Amino acid sequence: MSGLTHQDAERLLYLEAHLLDERRWDEWLDLYTEDAVFWTPAWRNEDEPTASPDTELSLIYYEGRSNLADRVWRLRSGLSVASTPIQRTAHAVSNVLLEAATDQAAKVKSSWATHVFNPRRKAQHVFFGRYEHDLRREEDRWRVARKKILLLNDYIPTVVDFYML
Amino acid sequence: MSGPRTLIPRRATPAAEPLAPADVSALIDDRPLDGAFRVHRAAFSDPRVFELEMKYIFESSWVFLGLASQLPKPHDYLTTTIGRQPVAVMRDGEGRLNAFLNSCRHKGAIICPLMSGNRKLHVCSYHGWSYDSAGRNRAIKGRAEGAYGQAFETESHDLAALPRFGQYRGLLFGSLSADVPSLEDYLGDARKLIDLAVDQSEEGLELVPGYVTFTFNGNWKLQLENCSDAYHFTSTHPSYLRVLDRRVASQGSGGAIRSVWDNDRPFESGAKGVTNGTFSFANGHVLNWSISQPSDAHPLFERIEELTRRFGETRRNWMFGTRNLTLFPNVQLAENASSQLRIIRPLAPDKTEMLTYCMAPIGESAEARRRRIRQYEDFFNPSGMATPDDAVLYEDCQAGHRTPIAEWLQGYSRGAGAASAAANPLTEGLGIAPQSSVLGGPDLCDESVFHTYYRSWRDRLVRGIERSNQGAPR
Repeated sequence: MSGLTHQDAERLLYLEAHLLDERRWDEWLDLYTEDAVFWTPAWRNEDEPTASPDTELSLIYYEGRSNLADRVWRLRSGLSVASTPIQRTAHAVSNVLLEAATDQAAKVKSSWATHVFNPRRKAQHVFFGRYEHDLRREEDRWRVARKKILLLNDYIPTVVDFYML
Repeated sequence: MSGPRTLIPRRATPAAEPLAPADVSALIDDRPLDGAFRVHRAAFSDPRVFELEMKYIFESSWVFLGLASQLPKPHDYLTTTIGRQPVAVMRDGEGRLNAFLNSCRHKGAIICPLMSGNRKLHVCSYHGWSYDSAGRNRAIKGRAEGAYGQAFETESHDLAALPRFGQYRGLLFGSLSADVPSLEDYLGDARKLIDLAVDQSEEGLELVPGYVTFTFNGNWKLQLENCSDAYHFTSTHPSYLRVLDRRVASQGSGGAIRSVWDNDRPFESGAKGVTNGTFSFANGHVLNWSISQPSDAHPLFERIEELTRRFGETRRNWMFGTRNLTLFPNVQLAENASSQLRIIRPLAPDKTEMLTYCMAPIGESAEARRRRIRQYEDFFNPSGMATPDDAVLYEDCQAGHRTPIAEWLQGYSRGAGAASAAANPLTEGLGIAPQSSVLGGPDLCDESVFHTYYRSWRDRLVRGIERSNQGAPR
């Protein structure tokens, strides 16, 4: 089997963006491996994001897809006022770079911006930053084994949820 | 039953006209003999009130600045604000801590533009005046050639030191007015509750590297109240609590971190005896608490024997319990799902900035630290599963505060019938003498704890206006 191509990498990242924007949560979860790491660092200071999740604070750090399933459950539960209504998002992913690829694994870097509209407040915001996707081949498909989301504008207006990143 | 004395005439008082002491007093309907305590919605939304809060609460008395452990080395510094004023705290070459207005004496520019760092010399980027880490002016560019007049040569050019600066067990406070009680007197018995956080390690308390800042479009007092508000917990945070249930049901199979509330939830019905309550102190400090059996999912559990040996079972149990401590007006040490230090910075009547950190005992094991951080992120972050619901509700309250109809808020009434100034076994066990204690079960959810916030608030605003009217120096 051959490795992941640049076009495969782009397709996977674009698919993830569409699944989030279209709220196809189960298909989104299915993009991730069961042991997936989902990580949004915090910042130590003006220049350095945190780098060591076990000794430094992150905005979000999960090991295991079930944690993401919990977040999806919360979103759909109707029990979270911050998620009612779910805010409208448009993810734009660009500058995709395939950094390394073997038959079984690949590393992809990209830039992202998510336009978020809160219909309840009539307010909008853009979150932006950089992604690193570590992809792993599982049987005949590629899944996300680790996603690092660097949020560059971390002065957060009230709420940021996983689906806005 | 007598009614409130006056309502603020909403149209008769033009916005430019400052509030008189009676106008401020009229925002709090405080009639102890009738068991009445209500707060007027305008306390949260009137820009004139906000201006008075800045002048007479934040910029006239003790305000939390940071932790000494954020500045471990000579020449370390951090920057913050007192009200609207920029402040820098610096450790000098001899290891002494000082606090200054973060503003050049020449043109007023910020001297330390970053959140923190280490510098022997702070050089103003505008005209190059420089200061050492003790705040002393070291150089005025081109001084010899400057043909300065005599008056300039006799003036001090050092950074302006805060009129008062002090610390209690590594918590740093400053005041822009010298006319304040000693820090010890200001904190009073709330110091014993700070001890419960600091004593968890013989080395003291530190902030986990990494901060999180968020804003909400609501008044700062909404945050002040929410930290002490047990009543909201089960109705605001069911999504978080049900996620904890899901994790317990999965028996940790999915890699989720265990919660301190896996086994015992002191906020849910069914508990017997005294499990929950509040203590109120002079100057607006409060503690909201619950006690339960120490959880083996608590990051402190690895030290349970040591803590029992050093402090006895009673104080140890307090360390494991939920303690939400507010040191009025701007800092909260929240120890519940994890441990948070939060600094409240009011930006406008309807906008507040929160600077938040995970606080932790120095020297805990790597596993305990990891668990503490994970528990923290899930609960406390604006990207987590609890704080977002709080912050959105602050905004909903602020939107509701716009109405002039039914202007008296009724959220200050629960527990009033249970409040007592008398000592009880819990206060005696802690060695504290609060102005008021409320002890009960999980469903009492005292709100009378807020009274001390608003009495301190009212008294300081009234005193500030009166002294200003008399022309007294602030």
